[in-house]
Amino acid sequence: MKCEELVRYLSDYIDNNLNEELRADAQEHLATCRNCHVLLDTTRLTTALYRSRGDQVLPPTRRSDLYEKIKRAVARQDAAGLEDPEV
Amino acid sequence: MRMRSETELLTEFQSSRPQAALEDLFERYADKIYRLAIGLLGDADAAEDIVQETFLAALDHRLSFVGRSSLGTWLYRIAYNAAISSLRRRREEPLSEESDESDDGDALPMPKSLGDWALTPENLLVDAQTRARLDDAAQRLPQKLRAVFLLRDVEELSTEATAEVLGLTGSAVKVRLHRARLLLREALAPAFGSPEPRGV
Repeated sequence: MKCEELVRYLSDYIDNNLNEELRADAQEHLATCRNCHVLLDTTRLTTALYRSRGDQVLPPTRRSDLYEKIKRAVARQDAAGLEDPEV
Repeated sequence: MRMRSETELLTEFQSSRPQAALEDLFERYADKIYRLAIGLLGDADAAEDIVQETFLAALDHRLSFVGRSSLGTWLYRIAYNAAISSLRRRREEPLSEESDESDDGDALPMPKSLGDWALTPENLLVDAQTRARLDDAAQRLPQKLRAVFLLRDVEELSTEATAEVLGLTGSAVKVRLHRARLLLREALAPAFGSPEPRGV
């Protein structure tokens, strides 16, 4: 496998979507090509960084405000008498 | 509180007393939808509006949900459509269509920065500066790639669920995810990597 092919198959390699033959070719290339090995490691790190980002949750006060609004919407539907549907 | 199964949740959600099921769905998905909306819009206030819009729309249209996908996938789809409408209103110009066309024609972004990064998977310190870098890089991605990256790599949806949310084929999701990863990696490399002039 050449570097250009490794770049093309990189995400399929990371996500385990390659067949056995291509996976073995990719592993053989990665064992000897430093640039492609760095590419693999840093691509995995990119995803890991975004997953580790944290802190993106609804602020607690906003969360309860939003939930109250939704509860009021349910109550309005109740008042309007939504029929029990056939599921 | 006992975790309802998906079937129990759906039955209750589609009854005339959806309150408890909606509360359960809100607990499970509000933060996930908030995260997706921030990622798409780059704006916390607008993302809060999307959360509200999503759950109100789900309540209004719950009887039209026929269970072809999971409830979670359905909520993500409502949220995604709401976020795209919000982007269109904000920009006052049409966004590129989310068709599968043009993915194959785009040249793959070839990696240029190939120095090692001073990070390991076990030691990822995501401080305020790093968060700002991540956000900036993600916001500079084309929207159609960003949506796939957020759903697949951040929210960890399967290729199939991501395709359902975005109305794409599985292969289009894979192509876009690959481009997104390569572009983000390249954008972040100057901040984390040592300079390395050679490309692949």
